[in-house]
Amino acid sequence: MTHPQIAAFAREAKENEPPVRTLEGQKTLLSRTMHGFSYDRIHDEIVVNSPLTQAILTFKGSANGEEPPIRVIQGPKTRILGMGYAALSTVTADPEHNEIFLPIGSGGYRGAGTGGPEGVIVFDRMANGDVAPKRILTGPDTQIRSSTPQVAIDPVHNLLVVKSNGLMIFDRAAEGNAKPLRVIRGPKTGGFGGGQIAVYAEKGLILTNSQDGWAMWGIYDDGDVAPRWRIPVKQITGGGQNVGIAVIPKHKEIMIASSLQNRVLTFYFPEMFE
Amino acid sequence: MHKRKLLAVATALVLVVVGLSLVERPVLRERTGYPQLVSVQDLQLDPNWCPPTEQTSPEDSNLFAAFGETSVHAGWQASADTPIITRPPIRTIRDKDPIYSAVAVDTRFDEVILMDNNNWGLRVFNRTDNTPAKAPSTEPKRIIAGPETDIQFNNGLYIDPKNGDIYSVETDTGDKVVVFPRDAKGNMKPARILKTPHRGFALAADEEKDELFVGVQYPPEVAVYRKGASGDDKPLRSLQGESTRLSDVHGVALDTKNRLLYVANWGHVSDYRMPGTGRFEDPSISVYPLGADGDVSPIRTIKGPKTQMDWPAQMTIDTDTGDLYVANDMGHSVLVFKGTDQGDVTPTRVIKGNRTGLANPSGVFVDKKNRELWVSNFGNSSAVVYPLNADGNAAPIRTIRSAPANKVSLKFGKVEALAYDEGRDQIWVPN
Repeated sequence: MTHPQIAAFAREAKENEPPVRTLEGQKTLLSRTMHGFSYDRIHDEIVVNSPLTQAILTFKGSANGEEPPIRVIQGPKTRILGMGYAALSTVTADPEHNEIFLPIGSGGYRGAGTGGPEGVIVFDRMANGDVAPKRILTGPDTQIRSSTPQVAIDPVHNLLVVKSNGLMIFDRAAEGNAKPLRVIRGPKTGGFGGGQIAVYAEKGLILTNSQDGWAMWGIYDDGDVAPRWRIPVKQITGGGQNVGIAVIPKHKEIMIASSLQNRVLTFYFPEMFE
Repeated sequence: MHKRKLLAVATALVLVVVGLSLVERPVLRERTGYPQLVSVQDLQLDPNWCPPTEQTSPEDSNLFAAFGETSVHAGWQASADTPIITRPPIRTIRDKDPIYSAVAVDTRFDEVILMDNNNWGLRVFNRTDNTPAKAPSTEPKRIIAGPETDIQFNNGLYIDPKNGDIYSVETDTGDKVVVFPRDAKGNMKPARILKTPHRGFALAADEEKDELFVGVQYPPEVAVYRKGASGDDKPLRSLQGESTRLSDVHGVALDTKNRLLYVANWGHVSDYRMPGTGRFEDPSISVYPLGADGDVSPIRTIKGPKTQMDWPAQMTIDTDTGDLYVANDMGHSVLVFKGTDQGDVTPTRVIKGNRTGLANPSGVFVDKKNRELWVSNFGNSSAVVYPLNADGNAAPIRTIRSAPANKVSLKFGKVEALAYDEGRDQIWVPN
């Protein structure tokens, strides 16, 4: 925000341990409000949104310092609207299928918003410059209604999960006014907070912010379903807006970004991986 | 029968009055040594919070159907008996020291105020404090911090030269300027709160006109309020629109002598309602009449590779000399321009180099009384002081450190997302 860097830390970094690399500076084209982004492990790339300029930036995974992106998706053909107050805050890569998913919201938080559609725009991973999306998922039947929807891809079960006013589970290639396959929504869920969303495809789990902690559902859950587990992060640490997530199966850990405390917390969570 | 009812009602009333008289009043509460409920306040909710919907059961509530085709997870229940994992985190990545985003000096009381963007506070030091080389840090005289203060990710800072009031603007969801009296300390409520547009970043004031200028990142704007404004008071005027060439505003400086307004822009441009309007421009400083209102074009613009601007942050101007000082975050430098500069110009002075102590400078302040230049460093938990005519690889005349001399700040500023690189075993953290 003040200094919109992306910093890479050793997974086991401790308090006060500086990052091993930092992407920062004018040439990186980075700006504030990076609320969801992806590391593409297959192509060793980082995909991140640039909300203030209606753009998607792709960097080399080895990028360091004031290194420019290797590709920039931006222009009228992209149909990317900017952020009024909260839209265009996340982007997700699907390296297995060479696609980039950009959730689009009304951006209506504390303002009139973009007036644009709510849904998901999909680009080819190699798209560069002013290019049209491959497909768009939007319309009343999608049930996507949010100022800031977030998405995650399950490449194993070929699913697209959209967090909006509920968790909408679509076929990964859904487009147009497609209906979700399943919708997780209702009082038993405890509700869904803002922030990132993740899928641990190997176990078919969806991880999302809920009640200022994290909760997990299954990809075949449907309707008003309580989560399988819940980590009440705010209750444990006292800090709010615990909105970022990374799943680390090898070490049976999940890492959580606690934005109001400026902290990254690592929880050992073997239950989820067994 | 009627008398019995009256008697019963009267008895009940007496019991209620006596009962209430026995209820402990907060001011009379004695210390017990145990936790007590002392107040109930509204939760500060995530602005993106999606509350649970009213929709109830799905049409197909069959347990096995809901369980799914291949679901293998234990612990799932179709009720609220979800297993709760309450283990504490095994590791935490965080910066334990302050991360300074702004600096200002109260010359009447010889105090310097530093804005801590990491722990959400204001730290007040003696102006002449100088952390010895071997000392780990200098303790502040006072700290203003805590939930009552309403300080969050604050950046802009202004000290009223007449009475020492401290003004600070919040850059994220707080959407407000908070004002404290000069001697504020601890977890205290601001004396005034002014609601401002989302993403306020910079502050300046015109003492002659009694006006407060709030620079807003995006949608870019400079909103001008009465200096004494509070609550929902509306701006007197606002500079905004495509003709202004404002973009991702980070700094505001006022030349009250020549009636000019300077704004530092990062060059991130778009009309969020119009697809395809996004573009990247070079960073710039745009100059306007101080009374500019609406969609007004700049009088002139400083912009181009010779300027060395790289994420230009806060600015201040010496109205005696016309020198404009720019905290140049990624240049690890302070750039000094002439207030009359225009176009792709080389700064008249650049403070930069390994002796300067500069590390991602974000705040800058000219102390005309003592002929000193103050700079706050986002990158090493310090503030450094130079003579006002400093140039080149100049060593500071004093340094206030809140961490050891070799400190490398994590530069966190609202970490909201994560991505894991398994090959390198690294976690990416954006601000």
